[in-house]
Amino acid sequence: MKAKLSTAVLGLSALLGSTAMAQDNTLTINSFGGAYEEAHRNCVITPFEEATGATVNVVTAYSADAFAQLRAQKDAPQFDVIHFSGGQEIVAADEGLLSPIDAAALSNAGDLYDFAKANLSEGEGPAYSIAAIGLVYNSEAITTAPTKWTDLMNPDYAEHLVLTDISNGYGMLGFLMLNQVQGGDLNNIQPGLDAVGQLLDAGALIVSTSPEIQQEFAQNDAWIAPYASDYAYTLRNAGLPTRFTQGEEGTPASFITANLVAGRPNTELALEFIDLTISADAQACFAEALRYTPTNSQTELAEDVAADVAYGEEAVAGLLRFDPTVIEANRSTWVEEWNKAIAQ
Amino acid sequence: MNDRTENLLLALPGVLLLALAFFMPIAQMLALSFSGPEGLTLQPFARFLSDSYYLGILWRTVRLSLLITAICAAIGFPLAYIMTKVGPRLRLWLVVMVILPLMTSVVVRTFGWMVLLSRSGLVPELLRDWGFVGRNFALMQTETAIVIGMVQVLLPFMTLSILGVLTRMDGRLEEAARTMGCSFLQTIRTVVLPLALPGIVAGSLLCFTLSASSFVTPNLLGGTRIQVLAASIYRSVTATPDWPFAAAQAVILFAGILLVLIPYIKLTGSKHG
Repeated sequence: MKAKLSTAVLGLSALLGSTAMAQDNTLTINSFGGAYEEAHRNCVITPFEEATGATVNVVTAYSADAFAQLRAQKDAPQFDVIHFSGGQEIVAADEGLLSPIDAAALSNAGDLYDFAKANLSEGEGPAYSIAAIGLVYNSEAITTAPTKWTDLMNPDYAEHLVLTDISNGYGMLGFLMLNQVQGGDLNNIQPGLDAVGQLLDAGALIVSTSPEIQQEFAQNDAWIAPYASDYAYTLRNAGLPTRFTQGEEGTPASFITANLVAGRPNTELALEFIDLTISADAQACFAEALRYTPTNSQTELAEDVAADVAYGEEAVAGLLRFDPTVIEANRSTWVEEWNKAIAQ
Repeated sequence: MNDRTENLLLALPGVLLLALAFFMPIAQMLALSFSGPEGLTLQPFARFLSDSYYLGILWRTVRLSLLITAICAAIGFPLAYIMTKVGPRLRLWLVVMVILPLMTSVVVRTFGWMVLLSRSGLVPELLRDWGFVGRNFALMQTETAIVIGMVQVLLPFMTLSILGVLTRMDGRLEEAARTMGCSFLQTIRTVVLPLALPGIVAGSLLCFTLSASSFVTPNLLGGTRIQVLAASIYRSVTATPDWPFAAAQAVILFAGILLVLIPYIKLTGSKHG
C-alpha cells in the first residue's frame, strides 16, 4: 500500500522534476497552499524570480506530505528547498535527507535570533517564521486581557472556552503548554489531561479544526481559545473583535523552516533562495500578510502588526519549543489517552 | 455461443468492477487488520474488545443506529400511509418534498442543523424564550443532535421503501376489514402493518446500515467528544496513524452490520420474497 503510494509519488515527481533537471536556473520548492502560498509568492518567490531570473516550481504539499515525498525520493530528490512547519527537519536531517548549511553562505544568517539557526551545521534549515501559540481572546467580552496560561482555568471563562483537539498541530502545542503550567512535562501528560477534564466539566468545548474555532467565536459566544497568533488575525479579518496575547509562562512556538535538500545540483541558487527567505524584508512581508512572528532581529514592523506577534528580543525570549521528536514518538499514545480523557 | 456464456459475458463488466472496487479493498482491509510486526496477529482485535472505551464507542454506535432507525420508522410509516391515501397531485408534491433533501449534500444539511442547534441558534433560543430550558442549554455536541440530524438525513430512505410496498397494496383489503367491524387503528394493526412489513424491514436495513457507518453527520453534530465507530476509525487512520487498528475497527463494524442483516434476511426472505 505505502510502497504503491511512494511509487506513484516518485513517478509524479519524476515528471515534475524532469524539466527541472534540464534547466540549471530552476528551483523546485513546496509551499502550504491557500493564503499561505499567496503570501509566500508575494514575499519570497516572485521577488526571488525577479532578482535572479530563475524559475521556481511550487508544489503544494503540507509538511507531512512533503516529508513523505522527500523520503520516497531518497535516491533521486526532486525538491531543492523544502519547507516544514512540524519539526520534520529534525528527523529529515537525522536521516541525511537534508544538507548542512554553512552560516557564512547566508548573508542574512547573522541577523537571525540564535534559536532560529541553532542546527544549521546538522542540516536543520533556518526558521524563517514562527507560529506563536498563546491566548486568542474576544476583547469585547473579556475587558481585562488574560496574561497567563493559568487564566484558562478561570471559572468566569469556563463556558466560553474553546480547546482544540490534539490531532491538530497547534492544539497539541497548546495542550502541552497547559500540561506544563499544571506541573506536567513531556514524560507525564496526566496533569494536562486532568486540567482538560476539569475545563470540560465546567462547560468548555473541544473543536478539531481552525474553521470551527471561527464558528464558535462568531456564533456561539466563545471568548477565549489557546491558539496561534496568525489565527487571531484571521478572525479579526473576518470582523471579530479578537486579540492575541502571550502567556507569561512561555509561548510554545511552531517553527517554519526552509531546508536545503541533499543531493541536488543547484545548491548555490537554493541557498540564495533560503537567504532571501530569512531576510528582514521577506519576514516583514510575512508578518504583514499573515501575522507570523519573524525570526530576523532586523525586521521592522508597523505598530499594528507588531501588536499581533511576538516582536522584539524580549517577546522572542519567551518562545519555547517542545521537542518535535518526542512529540512524534508519543503521538499515538497521547492521542489515545486524550481521546479517553475527553470522551463523554 | 450459448445462453450461459452470453450471460457470463454480460455480467463480466459488473463482476470486474465489483472485484476491483469492492472485494479487493475489503480483502486488503481484512489482511491489514490481522497484520502485526511479526506476521499474523489478533492484537488489534484484542485491544478493541478488552478496552471499555472502544466497547463504549461500539455500543453507542449500535444504540444510536437502532434509535435513529426506530424514529425513522415511526415517522416514515404514517407519512407513507398518508401518501397512498391522498390524490395523485398532492402525492406528487409529498414525494418531491421527501426526495428534495436528497438533492443536497449531507454535509450541507448537517451544517444547516449546526446553525439551528448551536448555542445561539434558532432551536435553543426558542426553547429558552419559552422557558423550557436554562441559559446554558445547548444541543450541539450532544447525542440528541446526532439523532435529529441523522433522522432528517435518512428519513427519505425509510419513507420511500414503505411507500413502494403500500402503493401495491389492494385498497379493498382495508375496506373489507372496516366492514368486518375493525376500527381504523385495528385495520392499521392487523392489515396494513403486516403487509407493509417488507417495506419497513427494507427501510430499517437501509437506515441502520447507513447510520452505523455514517461519519460526517455524527462527527459534525456530536463533536470530538462523542465518538462513533466511523469517526474512531477515521481518527485511527489520520491522528495516530495506526492502520492495523483502524482496519480492525472497520472489520468489527462490517461484521456487526452483517450480524444484523442475517436475522432480517432469515425473518423476511422466506415469507415475502
